[in-house]
Amino acid sequence: MSNEIAEKIKGMLVERLRIPADELEYDSELFGEDIGLDSIDSIEIVVGIENLFGVDLSGASKEDFRSIETLTAYVEAHKED
Amino acid sequence: MLDVKRCVITGLGLVCAIGNDTDECFESALNGRSGIADVKCFDTSNCYSHKGAEVGLATGELAKGKYDRTTALGIKAAGEAIADSGLDMNSEAASEIGVILGSCIAGAASVEKYYRDKENGGKGSIDDLKAIPASVIAGNVADYYKAGGITANIVNACAAGTLSVALAIDLIRGGKGEIFLAGGCDAFASLPFSGFHALKALDANECSPFNHSEGITLGEGAGVLVVESYEHAVKRGAKIYCDVLGSGVSSDAYHITAPRPDGEGQMSVIRRAVDNSGLTANDIEYVNAHGTGTAKNDEAEFLSLKICFEGNDHVYASSTKSMTGHCLGAAGAIEAVLTVKALTEGKLPPTTGYTEEDLGVLKEKAGAVNFIANKPVRKDINYAMSNSFAFGGNNASIVFAKDPNPVKNTVRKYDLYVTGIGAVTGEYSEETGDYRANIDADTFKSYGVKTAFLRKLDRLSQLQLLSGIKALEDAGITVNEDNEDLIGICIGTSDGPMTEIANFQKGIIRDGVDKGSAFAFPNTVYNAAGGYLSIFTGIKGYNVTIANGNQSGLQSICAASGAILFGYEDIMLATGTDECTEIDDGLYSDLGLKGKGGFTLGEGSVTCVIEKDSSADARGAKRYAKIAGFSSVRDTSGDTANNQRMSEAALTKALENVLAEAGMKPEDISCIYGFGNGIDKIDVFEMEVYKKIFSDNIEVRLVKQDFGEARAASASLQFAMLAKDIDEGRAANGIAVSFGTSALYSAVLLTGA
Repeated sequence: MSNEIAEKIKGMLVERLRIPADELEYDSELFGEDIGLDSIDSIEIVVGIENLFGVDLSGASKEDFRSIETLTAYVEAHKED
Repeated sequence: MLDVKRCVITGLGLVCAIGNDTDECFESALNGRSGIADVKCFDTSNCYSHKGAEVGLATGELAKGKYDRTTALGIKAAGEAIADSGLDMNSEAASEIGVILGSCIAGAASVEKYYRDKENGGKGSIDDLKAIPASVIAGNVADYYKAGGITANIVNACAAGTLSVALAIDLIRGGKGEIFLAGGCDAFASLPFSGFHALKALDANECSPFNHSEGITLGEGAGVLVVESYEHAVKRGAKIYCDVLGSGVSSDAYHITAPRPDGEGQMSVIRRAVDNSGLTANDIEYVNAHGTGTAKNDEAEFLSLKICFEGNDHVYASSTKSMTGHCLGAAGAIEAVLTVKALTEGKLPPTTGYTEEDLGVLKEKAGAVNFIANKPVRKDINYAMSNSFAFGGNNASIVFAKDPNPVKNTVRKYDLYVTGIGAVTGEYSEETGDYRANIDADTFKSYGVKTAFLRKLDRLSQLQLLSGIKALEDAGITVNEDNEDLIGICIGTSDGPMTEIANFQKGIIRDGVDKGSAFAFPNTVYNAAGGYLSIFTGIKGYNVTIANGNQSGLQSICAASGAILFGYEDIMLATGTDECTEIDDGLYSDLGLKGKGGFTLGEGSVTCVIEKDSSADARGAKRYAKIAGFSSVRDTSGDTANNQRMSEAALTKALENVLAEAGMKPEDISCIYGFGNGIDKIDVFEMEVYKKIFSDNIEVRLVKQDFGEARAASASLQFAMLAKDIDEGRAANGIAVSFGTSALYSAVLLTGA
C-alpha cells in the first residue's frame, strides 16, 4: 500500500469530513459505528478523491469505501500516471 | 382563558417563475404552465443540471433596486398583498401591521457579491454586507411599507413560509397583534444550487414530483398573505378570502437532510394541524403537498398521505413545485397563496409532467388519494391543507377553510415557569480579542455525544447542542417515548451559521458551482442547529428558528411561551445562540461595530426550559422563576431608511406591555437585565429610557461586559441570569430587554415562582 496516497486520503477525510485525526487509522471502518460516515460523506469522498488523484470512484463498490486502506488500493489500481 | 380568535386571509401577493402576481401565477398553475427553464443568473456549464425556475424580473426592477434579491422579492409580494387587502399604509392602521417572513437562504446573493468583490481585491460593499443576514429581511420589508407592527424572520429552511403563517395565527390569537403580512421569500442563488448539486439532489431535467422523483428543480419567489383577526377585518370592511383555521409543527428527530422513510414526522404534523383546526382527516379535501421530487421525500409523502387520509376517498393532492420549482423558504408561502386560491375558486391545480405510462404507475402509488395529474380539477371544497417538510426534519402544516373554526373557542391560560437553564459562554482571549467558548470533544463525550455525530455539526450547532443538553439535564428531563411529542424547540439567533455560509460561498467562488461540499451544505441552513438538537435528544414536537437580531434570544422565549399557551407542547426549549469565528470577526469589523468605539464580540448559547404549571407540578420540577409577561414591539418613528435606528417609543411600549401583563407598576421592578454593549449611543439611549419609566436609581445589570456581545446568546443569558437572581433571592421581579433591527424590542418580565 502506498503510504503517500493513504496519508493524502487521511488528510482529505480529516479536512472535509472533520474526522479527528487521532481517531482515524488506515484500517478504521469508515462506515462503522465509531467513525460513522453516511451517504452524504460518501459523496464528499468521491469528490475529494477525484480532486486529489483524478480517480473516478463512481464505479467503486461498497467494499472499496470500507477504509483508508481499501480506498488507497482502489486509487492505486485506477490512477493514471 | 384565552380567546381563540377567528383568523382570516384578507390579501394575497405572489411572485415566482410562473407569474408576477397572484392571478397570473394561479392561472399558470391551473393551465400547467411550468416556469422551469435553463438557469440564467449564473454559469452552470460544469454542472450535471442546468434547470431552474427563475422570476422574469431583474433585481433592479424590484423595490427600486435597493435591496438584496430575497428581500426585494418579499417587498414585491408584500406590495401586492397590501393593495389586495385594501389597507391604507398612510393611515394610523399601518402602525399595527406586523411582518413575519420565512427564508432559507436569506441574503445569499449578497454573500456572493460581497466575497466575490473581496476575492477580486475589493473591499466588499457595506450595503451587501448589511443585506447578508436573514435578521434584516422582515424589518426591511416592514420599513419599506411603513408597517409598524412586530417583525420576525422564520428560518426553518423549506418549511419557513408555512411556519410564518402558523406563527401569525398564534400571535393574533395570543393577543400580540391583529394583522400580519406573513409569508416567505427566497432568491435563486449559486449557494443552494451548488449545495443541492453536491448532494446529487437536483433533477438533471425538469423536476417530476410524485412521478419520476429524480430530484428537485430550484426556484425563487415570494408569497405573502395578509393574516388578520376576523373582528379587525370586519371592522375595516375588508374582503375576506377564507379562514385560516390552525397549524401543526413537528420534528422528525431523524436526519439533517433526509425525511423519515416511515413518514412519522409528516403524519404527526398533518394530524397536529387537523386537530388544531378542530377537524378530522376526513374533512380535508385538498392537500397542496410538499412534493419536492426527490425519491426520499416523495416515497415518504405518498406513504404519509395514504395513511393519514385512509378512508377519505374525496381528498385531492398535488405538488405545484412541478411548475414553480422548489422555492425553499418561499415555497410554503407560495403554496399557501395557491391553496387559498384553489379553495376560494374551487379550482385545484395539478402536478404536471405525467405521460400516459406515468399515469398508470401513479395510480398504483397513490392508493385512495386523488393525485391531480396534468389537468386541474373543478370542485367546490371547504377545507384545504398546505404542507412543508424541511432540512433539519422540520415539518409544518396549515389549514384553510371557507367557514370558521367549528370547535375550539377558548383554551386554558397556563402559568409558565423557567425549570431549567443550560449556558455556554465565552471567555476573553487576548489572542483573538474576543470572547470564545471552550467547546471540546471531551465535554461532548461526557454527555454521550459520539465523534460520529459531533463531527457533522458546525460551531453554531455545537454551541446549541451543548446548551440544550445542559438545560435538559438541569431540568431533570429525559426525553422518551412518553414525552417526545410534548417537548418543542425554539431557537433564536442573530447571525445563524454565518461561518458555514461564508466558507461555502467562498468555496464556490474559488472552485466553481459544481464543486460545492455535500458535507458542508446542510450546515448552511439557519435551522440546522435546531435540527441537530432534535436529532440528538429525540425531541419530536414544535421546532422553529427565529433569526431577528440580538433580541432573537428573547423573542424565542415569547414564541416558546405561545407554543405552550396554545397547547402544542408542555415544555419548550427556548434558546439564544450565536457563534464568533474569524468570519464573524471579519464581518463585524467591516461593519465598523467591533473594536474602538464599538463592542467586543462574543459567542455562546443559552437554552432555557420553559414549562407549563401542570407539567412542572407532575414532575416536581425545580422552578427558577415565573414568566409574568412578554412583549415585542417596534415602530416606524425616525428614519426608516436606517434599520439600525432606535426608538424610545417602541422600547417604552414593550416595557409598559410586560408591566401591564404582569399587573405590576414600575416600582415593583427590582432590576433590569439590559442590552448595553459598550457602544455609547446605545448605552446612553437605553439608560435614559429606563430612568424615565422606572427611576434614576433603577438597577441595570449587564452581561456583555463579562461575556462580550454574543447577540442572541446575550439576550438569552440576560433572561437566564435574571431567573437565577430571582431564584437565589437577588431580585424579586425583573425584566430582561433586548433589541433587533428596524427598532424592534423584546422584553420578558420574570417574578418569583
